[in-house]
Amino acid sequence: MSRFLGIKYDENNKYHRFARTAVITVISLSIFIFVWWAISVITDSTAIPTPLETWDALVDLYLHGDRMTKISLGQYVSSSLSTFLKGFLLALAVAVPTGLILGYSKILRDFTNPVIEVLRPIAPIAWAPIFMLSLGYSIGPILVVFVGIFFPLLTNVVFGVRKIDPNWIDAARTLGASQLQIFYKVMMPAAVPYVMNGIKVGLGVGWMCIVAAELYATPLGGIGFYLAEQATVGNWPGAYAALVIIGVLGLLTIGVADYLHRLLSKRMGMEV
Amino acid sequence: MSEEQVTEHTWTESQVSSSNAHITIKGLRKVFKRDETETVALEDFSLDIKKGELITLVGPSGCGKTTILRLIAGLTDPTSGEILINGKPCAAPGADRGMVFQDFALFPWRSVRKNVEFGLEVAGVPKEERREKAERYIKLAGLENFIDARVHELSGGMKQRVGIARALVGHPDVILMDEPFGALDAQTRNIMQVQLLKILEKTDQTIVFVTHSVDEAVFLSDRIVVLTKRPASIKEVIDIPWPRPRDRAAPEFTALRKKILTELEEENVMNY
Repeated sequence: MSRFLGIKYDENNKYHRFARTAVITVISLSIFIFVWWAISVITDSTAIPTPLETWDALVDLYLHGDRMTKISLGQYVSSSLSTFLKGFLLALAVAVPTGLILGYSKILRDFTNPVIEVLRPIAPIAWAPIFMLSLGYSIGPILVVFVGIFFPLLTNVVFGVRKIDPNWIDAARTLGASQLQIFYKVMMPAAVPYVMNGIKVGLGVGWMCIVAAELYATPLGGIGFYLAEQATVGNWPGAYAALVIIGVLGLLTIGVADYLHRLLSKRMGMEV
Repeated sequence: MSEEQVTEHTWTESQVSSSNAHITIKGLRKVFKRDETETVALEDFSLDIKKGELITLVGPSGCGKTTILRLIAGLTDPTSGEILINGKPCAAPGADRGMVFQDFALFPWRSVRKNVEFGLEVAGVPKEERREKAERYIKLAGLENFIDARVHELSGGMKQRVGIARALVGHPDVILMDEPFGALDAQTRNIMQVQLLKILEKTDQTIVFVTHSVDEAVFLSDRIVVLTKRPASIKEVIDIPWPRPRDRAAPEFTALRKKILTELEEENVMNY
């Protein structure tokens, strides 16, 4: 039994651990909001609204929607989430099979490696203007998200297949498995925790991409559009409210991915 | 066991007869080559293994014992020489030769039952038959209470019993055991040896067993092959006609152990 903030604290009690995390989180966020408030007050700049002004803008957005475009908060958020989900599913559908095959085949890996290494360092957001103008505002943002998620996911899957314990392959071979059976009965399940890890990394990058893509003014909405619009007209509390929403949604996405990752790792009996 | 029997049956080199040989190894040579570096693991290695015998390979560390097993399994190809099983050259790995690995090589995403079923599954055995067979071998391994357990929930000894059940269930002609108890503590090891003999009583497979432990070899084997340092060749072949279970404290047991240990020591001295 030790002490935390002068209170008795038992590391082995899950309620104690939860309470500790909750207290620390509240303190941490309070300090953050206080510092934000202090900066806002000290600089006295309209471009830095106080937390309270931001909160009011948030409530206003929630109650009345975007007063300029008459689009509701729900529509903005669902528009962003839908674009995000489409890009994510597209990346999953392409990166996972590609990663499995590239991890398995050395010749294909060596063959594609130069191209991948050239394309990978290009910031996904750099594709945004190209995709938007050449493919339109509905497909454009989806592809930006796709690019953002694709590479971290691909890298993780390839790594996962290559990290497979060679003894598993040998065991499967001595049990009479064919190459194809080894591929889908050993390599695919063995790669699942790495796929989840790639998804976790990819979701973070993807979430950054969606907002950035929407900044290029998609008439279809999206929370990034609202952010750009509010900043353009100088309604700073509205712009900050958008930032808060982006942060919270990103946190939720990654939380879901993290939960799935742990669940699957446990079920598969593997840690990554 | 009388003194006369010991002098009569042990210490003599076994007479190699091809007539009842199950596995015939002829002039086997294995060279590992990487750029300019050549490592000769095996040089002119010949051995006949009889049907249904438990033969143990003991030798100095790194002498190429495991390489011999992997060659019989078909997991690697000889540089020259050949291995015949029932008179036919052995090629790719197959369900006719089961293997048990030092680090178990179990599939962590599968339950005990599913691990044991793997070989039957890839052979296309119908589900009902698969279940029934797997259950029989899991019972034989004394794991009926852990049939749906995950691999990470098992102790080392239990894991290896799953490994043995998995190798036995497809009823291979030959079982290759690569230091199967090497990762276990001394007490578990002794228990596992006794259990292995019990399991093998009910089967008629030929067992090729690789071990570092001379004690284990004398306890288990019908014949012990003492290998020289790398490149491995046969130093001596010792018949052990003693009945089982053997008494590790019996004078003839300790005498044979001492004799083999001395031979291995000679090899090791030459090594350094």
